[in-house]
Amino acid sequence: MPKYDSAKRPPLIIDEFFQLIRYRDLVILIIENILKSRYKRSTLGIFWMLLNPLLQTIVLTIAFGTMFKSSLPNYAVYLLCGLLIWNYITQTTQYAMVSMTQGGGLLRRIYIPRATYIVASAGNGLINLLVSIASLAIIIFFLNHPITLSWFFLPISILILTMFTLGFALLLSTAAVFFNDTVDIYQVLTQALFFLTPIMYPPSILPTEIGKYLIWNPIIPLIDIFRIPIYNNTLPDMDIIIKAIILATIMLIVGWTLFTNKADQVIYRL
Amino acid sequence: MNNNIIQLENVTISFRVPHEKIPTFQEYAIRWLKRRRVSYTYFNALNNVSFSVKKGDTVGIIGSNGAGKSTLLKVIAQVIRPNQGRLYVEGRIAPLLELGAGFDYELTGRENIFLNGAILGFSRKNIADRLESIMEFSGIGEFIDAPIRTYSSGMVARLGFAIATDTQPDILIIDEILAVGDTDFQKKSAKRILQYHNDGSTILVVSHNLDSIKNLCNHVIWLEHGLVKNTGPVDDILNQYLQKDHPAD
Repeated sequence: MPKYDSAKRPPLIIDEFFQLIRYRDLVILIIENILKSRYKRSTLGIFWMLLNPLLQTIVLTIAFGTMFKSSLPNYAVYLLCGLLIWNYITQTTQYAMVSMTQGGGLLRRIYIPRATYIVASAGNGLINLLVSIASLAIIIFFLNHPITLSWFFLPISILILTMFTLGFALLLSTAAVFFNDTVDIYQVLTQALFFLTPIMYPPSILPTEIGKYLIWNPIIPLIDIFRIPIYNNTLPDMDIIIKAIILATIMLIVGWTLFTNKADQVIYRL
Repeated sequence: MNNNIIQLENVTISFRVPHEKIPTFQEYAIRWLKRRRVSYTYFNALNNVSFSVKKGDTVGIIGSNGAGKSTLLKVIAQVIRPNQGRLYVEGRIAPLLELGAGFDYELTGRENIFLNGAILGFSRKNIADRLESIMEFSGIGEFIDAPIRTYSSGMVARLGFAIATDTQPDILIIDEILAVGDTDFQKKSAKRILQYHNDGSTILVVSHNLDSIKNLCNHVIWLEHGLVKNTGPVDDILNQYLQKDHPAD
């Protein structure tokens, strides 16, 4: 018989983790339902997931491809690698914030683990990323871009990226519950950061006085650990990997701790 | 914890109500720059509430509007965590506070059974095993594979009730006496609740209908302004409640 004793509740950061494991089927169902509701109604169905990044890449390649012809051969591959990671991080975090603030009413009505929606958002984002990698593969195939053993590093990259994204989503969702304008501020900031991140252009085109600040852009190592194995066909440098791991670990710990400690108050705020 | 199935010790729920609303970063930052602190008032929805419920009891919770009855049920259902005090609960709770919580109106009845079941903490396999009996009790019939936005509100409530009460819970929490579906279904659901009661489930009911409290409950908790005014056998407390608080009735 299950027992609950508020005096014997384990620390919040552990409690939430065990509760999520107990409710794992719910997390999986929510992810399935997000995918279903998004793609059931469009006639293109699952192909839309493939088509969307392809079209985006084609348009941007036509627009900018010639500009970086010499510095970035197979520009489409470079571009799409960066875009996929950028979209993974920003779309997942935005989705998490919105589902927490709008769908969070359920948390006030019945007990479910408070992080359910955020973990489901991260899971949904991860699936979208994996599907988009298929469209990246199509482009790589058409451009005859080499595929080497360095692809075996990608699972590690994706794991690091997922840790970062989940932590960031938890952090932002907590903020979004307490401050209504978090989503708006975040949108403005990400838009600015997008152009300050070498996604559409090579880092070399920035003038040195701006370029030297690039080491402070936390997104760059996260993109590099994914893009270098695919685009440059080598393993990323050790210092990039270490930077990315440290960043992701800190983000996950901070996000998880903040969220789980504020989760009980969330009920009063939603 | 001897044979108490639910025990509350000095449970306090206080809501922090800011005098002025500052729900944005922008305003928060401006205030911080001006060094103006935000003042809050605290409102205690429950104040030092202590009581215990024995296994198999049927407990009615009465009190005027805003006395904290629904908050109390939410505390026991672990939706709201107490700021202070201790809550001990033994066994599986079926909360009939929100029937069909989390229903997605674009999904079919069948899909919603799984979704709502997962929200209630059941595994997918467990729901799959009981799918037939849930469908049968709800009486949804062939509509089970239609999106529930096409259902009438009564059908939605019936489906929610059928999922929440399909297996016998240790504790059944009911907010207001159920008025689910048509008369036939109301009889059917009342019968099921009585059956669970006879089989040993503990029942907590919030209601303004003192007659139904009298019929169903053997024990009453009387809340007023977040405080326990009195607890005891149903007849004693109901008499006090009628005399002291509603002399005109």
